[in-house]
Amino acid sequence: MNPQPAPARFSVLGQLALYALYTVAGLVAIVWLLGLAAGSTGSAVTGGAIDTGNNAITIALRTEPPQLDYGRATDSISLTVLFHTVEGLLTYDDNMALIPGVAERHEIRGDGATFWLRGDARWSNGEPVTAHDFVFAWRRVQDPATASAYAFIMYPVKNAEAINRGELPPEALGVRALGDRVLEVEFERPTPYFDKLVAFVTFYPVNEAFFQSTDGRFGASADMLLYNGPYVMNEWIHSASMRWDRNPDYWGGHKGFIDTIHVGYITQDVNARLNLFKDGQIADTQLVPQMLGEAMERRWQIDRSMDGTVFFLQLNFRDGRLTANKNFRKALLYAQDPVEFVYKALKEPSYMPAVSLFPFWIRGAEGYFRQEHPPTPHEYNVAKAREHLELARRELGLETFPPIHLLADDSPLGSISSEYYQAVYTRNLGLELRIDKQIFKQRLAKMDAGEFDIVVSGWGPDYDDALTFGDLFSSWNLNNRGRYASPEMDALVRIAQSELDPVKRMAAFGEIQDLVHEDVVIVPMYERGWSFVVDPRLKGFKRRAVGPEVDYTYARIDGRAAD
Amino acid sequence: MGVRHTRCRQPAAADRAYAADAVNTSLQTLFRHPCLQSRRICLVGSGSMRGSGELMYSAADFLPAGERRDAHGISRPSLSYLEDAWLRLKANRRALVSLYLVIGLLLFTIAGPWVWRIDPAAQDLDQVSQPPGVDRAALIVPEYQSWDGSGPEGPLHVVGDATSQSVRLKWDALPGANGHRVYRNVFPVGPELAYGMPLAEFYNNAILYHEDRLDLRPGRYYYSVVALGADGAVTDNHQTIPVDVRRVTTLAEARERGLSGEQTGELAVGDSIELQPHPFGTDYLGRDMLARLMAGARVSLFIGIVAPALFVLFGVAFGATAGFIGGRVDQLMMRFADFVVALPFLLFMILFKIAFGIGPGESGVMPMLVAMVVLLWPATARLVRGQILQLREAAYVQASQLLGARTNYLVLRHMLPNTLGVVLVTLTFEIPKAIFVEAFLSFIGMGVAPPTPSWGSMSNEGIATMLTTPHELIFPALFISITVLAFNLLGDGLRDALDARMRNAG
Repeated sequence: MNPQPAPARFSVLGQLALYALYTVAGLVAIVWLLGLAAGSTGSAVTGGAIDTGNNAITIALRTEPPQLDYGRATDSISLTVLFHTVEGLLTYDDNMALIPGVAERHEIRGDGATFWLRGDARWSNGEPVTAHDFVFAWRRVQDPATASAYAFIMYPVKNAEAINRGELPPEALGVRALGDRVLEVEFERPTPYFDKLVAFVTFYPVNEAFFQSTDGRFGASADMLLYNGPYVMNEWIHSASMRWDRNPDYWGGHKGFIDTIHVGYITQDVNARLNLFKDGQIADTQLVPQMLGEAMERRWQIDRSMDGTVFFLQLNFRDGRLTANKNFRKALLYAQDPVEFVYKALKEPSYMPAVSLFPFWIRGAEGYFRQEHPPTPHEYNVAKAREHLELARRELGLETFPPIHLLADDSPLGSISSEYYQAVYTRNLGLELRIDKQIFKQRLAKMDAGEFDIVVSGWGPDYDDALTFGDLFSSWNLNNRGRYASPEMDALVRIAQSELDPVKRMAAFGEIQDLVHEDVVIVPMYERGWSFVVDPRLKGFKRRAVGPEVDYTYARIDGRAAD
Repeated sequence: MGVRHTRCRQPAAADRAYAADAVNTSLQTLFRHPCLQSRRICLVGSGSMRGSGELMYSAADFLPAGERRDAHGISRPSLSYLEDAWLRLKANRRALVSLYLVIGLLLFTIAGPWVWRIDPAAQDLDQVSQPPGVDRAALIVPEYQSWDGSGPEGPLHVVGDATSQSVRLKWDALPGANGHRVYRNVFPVGPELAYGMPLAEFYNNAILYHEDRLDLRPGRYYYSVVALGADGAVTDNHQTIPVDVRRVTTLAEARERGLSGEQTGELAVGDSIELQPHPFGTDYLGRDMLARLMAGARVSLFIGIVAPALFVLFGVAFGATAGFIGGRVDQLMMRFADFVVALPFLLFMILFKIAFGIGPGESGVMPMLVAMVVLLWPATARLVRGQILQLREAAYVQASQLLGARTNYLVLRHMLPNTLGVVLVTLTFEIPKAIFVEAFLSFIGMGVAPPTPSWGSMSNEGIATMLTTPHELIFPALFISITVLAFNLLGDGLRDALDARMRNAG
């Protein structure tokens, strides 16, 4: 190569500016070309978010249900799909109150319960829904061969736990069909909240003849399920789309006003869903904090609701862990402020700083549980935290504290949480925290193995009763992954499980709440919520804390006469 | 302009001279001097060039030349290899700009943290996701006290001062309301009745106050209280007020962060101060971007320079050995290099991380370094081996052998210097690659452990808020781009400048 000619045509900055110009021009050209390429490949879905003429809507789901075998379903998207298409003994109305489902009426006693089934509940193949379907389904859930992750939720039914451990045959389960329309349940112990349990998917009925005909593929595709809910899933293209049509055979007229719900998109990407909403392709979408500015600028009517889940730092009580020391745990509690975390770091208007294991919406004996049993207010007190830390240091006989292992999800929220608490504990307590970010499943595996000091975790409700949170830290609960064990807690949980007097029962929950605070089993972080927007033409759409994540069963299109 | 030109432009296709043995060199210089070959005019004389480039001669120029002892002497000391390279590098402006950039980056990395003494992990939660150059004036207020909703009655109004600490709202029940919902907007509420973001809802009229503490920033907000219908749904019945929020901080925080206002004495409540400056803004946890970029540069440049330096060194040794020995050994060694090329980098990176016993929350930089050194040397080794094979057969090497030069001398004097250009060029091209690899691995979470930043992990964090606070992504991305571009252009220039065969070409 020849040397450059000497005269300077550009200064150094000019040269840089020229490179920048080339880069920008090149990028613009690429973006434009990509845009052209993308424009030519359209998605082949329906006529927009709201199709008033056909009384149809298009929505998006966050993830694909792994499978829809409701004996084994655990994730909230499966719960959502099943809530729309299958109905249990009882179900929820649009205000989260229990209403009759397949059971017309029911009775709960100290030793058992009886459900009287309606005569007009039908499966989508025309057969009636009978008490035998429930007996079959429930036995199947407890059968160890099914390996249902939610089998424990049925343990109040007599012999359920023994069957699940393989000690008794499934036929020993305390549930009987007295004819086609009466279901008799025998309890292992008094279970005053049993009506709330049976609204959960694990208690949904299964038609035995149909189940046998699926040959082990029950719930794997749209035609491998029978439906008795307000909607029937007529199409399920895996990882792409679903179509729910209104069930003409559904017994009630109180649910299912929209003829067709297209699940047009299944994508985890919130930005993609926001763009679909902006383009009028889906009827509602979730908003994350950084989208709120744009939402306000576009004059959208933003809504919010609670998600039901409480997030907290769960502490490890296993021997040899620093967190097994009570003063150390107290130091961790007092040295942080969930208010600052939620309002300054998370900045999500639908999230609430948590003060207790129990979220605020849990119902008590009369009104809200937290009004009847107010939790101890959180005290952010660094000086006090340091005193406790000093006590812990002496008790443990340590010169300095070794690094603390903080386990968290590798999600954006997990990153913010872990890095925030890392800095807070470094600043206020001088502790070194090592963050261990793992994918969700791996985090659970590590929690099970006890490979953490502190873990950022959450607990969502399965049924609308305080016990769904209250029994979390009983010594026998496998989800008590910090292995907290105390006789007082176990005694209180037993009362909460079987006390028939609602006031005494709620008092037990109140004591559980205090004990969790006193022993610092957890460091509460926040109660999760959703900020979301809905197409203004769609009315009656709900996001729920318990059960399905989104609920379209009461939704209708505005401007269309209710038919 | 210089008077005596000892060199002039050489036609591109002209034969090239190797700098080799002294004899060789002088002969070649004699016969291959470009002035002898080309038809260009070489000025060797005292003629002077002025202004427009015309040659002006005076009568003195036509007098017979006197006896000069140095008439055939060498007017300047001959240029060494590096001097020559430097001259040509200086002539290449792109390379020069890049060189300045690289030096600037090194200064930024090494000297930066001495000048900008901010802890890259410190969180300034009063200034979260702050773009560069915003107003930082703040008022010192007392510590936050919780509020029980006391204050004067009346339609929607603010109790006390509206500050970035809290905005306390109180209102009278709206007519016909079964509860209220409080909204906050940054735009005035228009006919669409888009009230903004919902902050709280009350399903009865027992509570008629709300305290907003959510991410308050200085500026104007529009707060609305909307009546809820019997079914708990939002109605059109609302009341909106504009609220101007002032930025405040507490005395304790100001002291903790070592802030001082215009006042020289002790700070007190009511003083006006400037919050900590953040020239590049802050990230999603209020950490200083400039400090993080500097800390990130340490990781990026450490990997970017040390890893290539190590594996290029190994590659040179390996390639030179294989090429020089040749034969079966060469075959064996190069097949081994081929085998290494076939190993998947990412997989080995993970394996090394495990083999090193790198626990959770510990930096993955060392395994990254090892993986790069172990896996990326074959490219250099192949290049050097090719060069050595070629040089081994060169005439001047054979001549040197005939004159009795030993192997050591041959390798050190003839072979390695002639591969130096190739090696240096490879090195400069491997540096941006290594920086990219580090950025990529940190981006996917295999690299540094938080809170240590690296440009890659910062980009990853910035992506989430790309649309609202683009500076969190743009700065680290820009630094990666500029660094990689600078090293590439510098490498390009060095390739031209260091090529021994282009010596004398200038």
